[in-house]
Amino acid sequence: MTDLSAPAREPGTPAPRRGADPVKALLHRHRELCETAVDPLEIAAGLEAHGVTDRTAARFRHRDVFSLAEELYARANHHTDAPPAAPPAPAPRTTWAVLTLLPGLLCLATLVALRHTGGQTRLLTAAAGALAVHLSLRAALRRGPLSGPRCPGTALPVCWLVAHALLGEGLLRAALSGGPDTPPTGADWPLTAATLAALALACAPAAWTTHLFRTRTHRRLTASRALEDFATSVRPLLLGTVALQLLAVAALTLLTATLLDEAPALGTTLTLGALLHLSRLLTVHGFTHAPRVILAATALTQAAALAAVFAARLPGLAALATPVETLVTEGTPAALPALTCGAAACVLLLHAARRLTRASAHAHAEARR
Amino acid sequence: MLVRIGLLTEGGYPYVSGDARLWCDRLVRGLGQHEFDVYAFSRSQAEEDEGWVPLPPQVSRVRTAPLWTSEDDGVVYGRRARRRFTEHYAELAAALCTADPAPAGTRSDAGTAEAPGVPHQADRFANALYGLAELAREEGGLAAALRSEAAVRALECACRAPGAQRPAREARVPDLLTVAAHLERALRPLTLDWYEENGLGAVDLCHAASGGTAALPGLLARHFFGVPLLVTEYGVRLRSHYLTRPDSSPAVRSLLAAFHGRLAAEIYRQAAFVTPGNTHARRWQERCGADRTKLRTVYPGMDAAPFAEVGESQASADPHTLVWVGRVEPAKDLVSLLHAFAEIRKQEPGTRLRIVGGPAGPEGEAYLGHCRMLAAQLFPDEAEGPHAVGDNPVSFEEIGGPELPTPADAYAAGAVTVLSSVVEGFPVRLVEAMLCGRATVSTDVGAVVEVIGGTGLVVPPRNPRALAEACVSLLRDPERRERLGAAARARALELFTVEQNIAAFHGLYLETVARTPVRRLPLDRTGVPRPFASPAEAHVPGHWTDPAPRPVPRWAAPEQVPVTEAAR
Repeated sequence: MTDLSAPAREPGTPAPRRGADPVKALLHRHRELCETAVDPLEIAAGLEAHGVTDRTAARFRHRDVFSLAEELYARANHHTDAPPAAPPAPAPRTTWAVLTLLPGLLCLATLVALRHTGGQTRLLTAAAGALAVHLSLRAALRRGPLSGPRCPGTALPVCWLVAHALLGEGLLRAALSGGPDTPPTGADWPLTAATLAALALACAPAAWTTHLFRTRTHRRLTASRALEDFATSVRPLLLGTVALQLLAVAALTLLTATLLDEAPALGTTLTLGALLHLSRLLTVHGFTHAPRVILAATALTQAAALAAVFAARLPGLAALATPVETLVTEGTPAALPALTCGAAACVLLLHAARRLTRASAHAHAEARR
Repeated sequence: MLVRIGLLTEGGYPYVSGDARLWCDRLVRGLGQHEFDVYAFSRSQAEEDEGWVPLPPQVSRVRTAPLWTSEDDGVVYGRRARRRFTEHYAELAAALCTADPAPAGTRSDAGTAEAPGVPHQADRFANALYGLAELAREEGGLAAALRSEAAVRALECACRAPGAQRPAREARVPDLLTVAAHLERALRPLTLDWYEENGLGAVDLCHAASGGTAALPGLLARHFFGVPLLVTEYGVRLRSHYLTRPDSSPAVRSLLAAFHGRLAAEIYRQAAFVTPGNTHARRWQERCGADRTKLRTVYPGMDAAPFAEVGESQASADPHTLVWVGRVEPAKDLVSLLHAFAEIRKQEPGTRLRIVGGPAGPEGEAYLGHCRMLAAQLFPDEAEGPHAVGDNPVSFEEIGGPELPTPADAYAAGAVTVLSSVVEGFPVRLVEAMLCGRATVSTDVGAVVEVIGGTGLVVPPRNPRALAEACVSLLRDPERRERLGAAARARALELFTVEQNIAAFHGLYLETVARTPVRRLPLDRTGVPRPFASPAEAHVPGHWTDPAPRPVPRWAAPEQVPVTEAAR
């Protein structure tokens, strides 16, 4: 009776109404439905959607559609082994690829323009450049792989950290030697513009590494059978992503230093670049709390160190400056931002290694997309 | 008697674009003597933006919650709450992964397969559900917990546990994530703050306007406060869940089907009454475990007033015109209607067919174009004489034009109304035709036979020849047409009017409340007695059921010889 290997009839030809086994014809007509169904009710629902009623079921010698569906379910050979094709990972888009290049190029252009201007024009150029970089940065973070949920309260710390990378080293040195007596760009208070340019340019590699991380995790996600497998396969991927970004930042630092004819500040740029990249990576995957706290804490530490140096000038508080002074005299002025940002980046990396290896993190990121 | 009814809706009343808005509105307006609290879920931002329908004064409060987004209340579970959540969620997942709890005793082997110590699957599911609800009510923070990794892990453990069904055992990580996300969405009603003494605890009765998610708050109100639940289902939710995700993986479909099946079974088990809208829904409910004694079929009500004028008079009917009314889409099978009409024209050459209705969506538009082309090919334009301008015997029109301002005019234009669908739920258009007192020919789909009940002709679907024969027989017999039309109108007025719908629900409300013991406490929170909380006879001095002698008049004294004995 249940010979399912019978030669298949053409789907268009009418079913013989009074055949020996009318259910077989029905099974053939709804073969896909019956073979993929997970329970008889699913077949019943599908049959009813095709207009099968209890009267039709009576022709197949069944009381109702449900019992007909049960027979079909029992007779179909179920194949559950072929998993459905996973939705493809998002392909890179020209829009965001161009947008992420903009902040760096604009920043570089502004810096070059600043070299060749002076007086009033220079001030205007700086203002226009800052505005352009800010707008292009916002646009770059709005779409593409770097777009994520809103994370209020991070803009100020990030501004502080970048400003500190730009001005902090000179300011600290001037402050320790009793200054500053001149506005920045004077002889005793140089700007480390190469760091700023490198960080702005690093938007593009950050977008690409995030995109790479996402597509790879997407592939691992669809391929893995257990949550534990997924976690173990994503951990090296995360480390690789961060390492790749660090390499890119290092290369960009050297490049911009050569272009702008400055000494490369590798320590500051690398640690700050890693910190910003990790906090963006976490934000993109929906974890906004940790980046907010860590960024704020880092900015506060740096501010406190600077404040301590200035407060030490008050009578009786000289001891306050001792830790920073020791740091600068034993190492370099760049040691302060490098240490604070480095420590923060390490904390975020540990956090990311725990959070981003969870499958649920990627589910929500994909649902949001 | 004033009853306070908590009306639970999902994506319907009171939103302007809701599905079941019309009947809920009629119900609320029709029962002005009662008080309604509306608890509504919205399905999308767009729906919320469109606003509410105007509410009558008997709606005393409206509380809404979105189903399309979840708000985090910022509660992070401590160790104990987390363990409690994991326990309940794992229990829920285990109930989904293991075999079916044998709906309505249709399967006898499921009971024997279980070990004696293991609680019944349905109880397991319900306990886990109520456990999660209690956790959400006491601690909050369930929304975040349902999205957490702990939930996915619990799901994975349940799928890999021995005894899990085969599709569940083969679940991959993306499947687990999909199922967890869907469960999170489905369990969102648990996270709401409706389950308070002055929220759903204050109503006398919950009436869920559909099954599934909308009935979930009613289930919890019953669990927390003992509020009786009445569930109305015009379309069975479980069935639509089977049809909505055909291309998911087997694991996802099996787990979600299990969830919705268990939820439906629990809703039917706890409900005081379940009211299906037609026999088809009733069969599904019986199949999913609804007790037959709880089922009361309440047909949807239609407003008969716009059709009264047409229904009373047969004057405007053109005896050679067939009318089809509805929204044009492939499921209506207009192609077979056109083929049938070709057949009719061979036997009754002067007949015309008017197809009235606009297309439904882009698919419907394409189908309408196809049908127009087919009509033009099958029937050449014809004119009355050599000097008149001809036109096609098949015309495509829409309601709202100058010729057919209302649906009633459309039905009035023809002697016979035809319904040619291959798939149909409750045939609203057929009921309208019946209210207009028209003879009908319809295909045997959905609830058609149940609705028409012998007052019109019924033919098998996809059978143009049978459709044509039935139409010709009616076209040639005006007396029979009139008889059938009158019978159809009488039947529709008896069964499918708004009044009968409202009366049925009113009766059910009173019956439900009468069966439910009073559960209000005699004292309020400050210890002051509530007014009218206990009946007045409780304060009659002395015990009036006491056997001790009370001052009674001598003629009523019990020592007196009974009258019957004296008479003997």
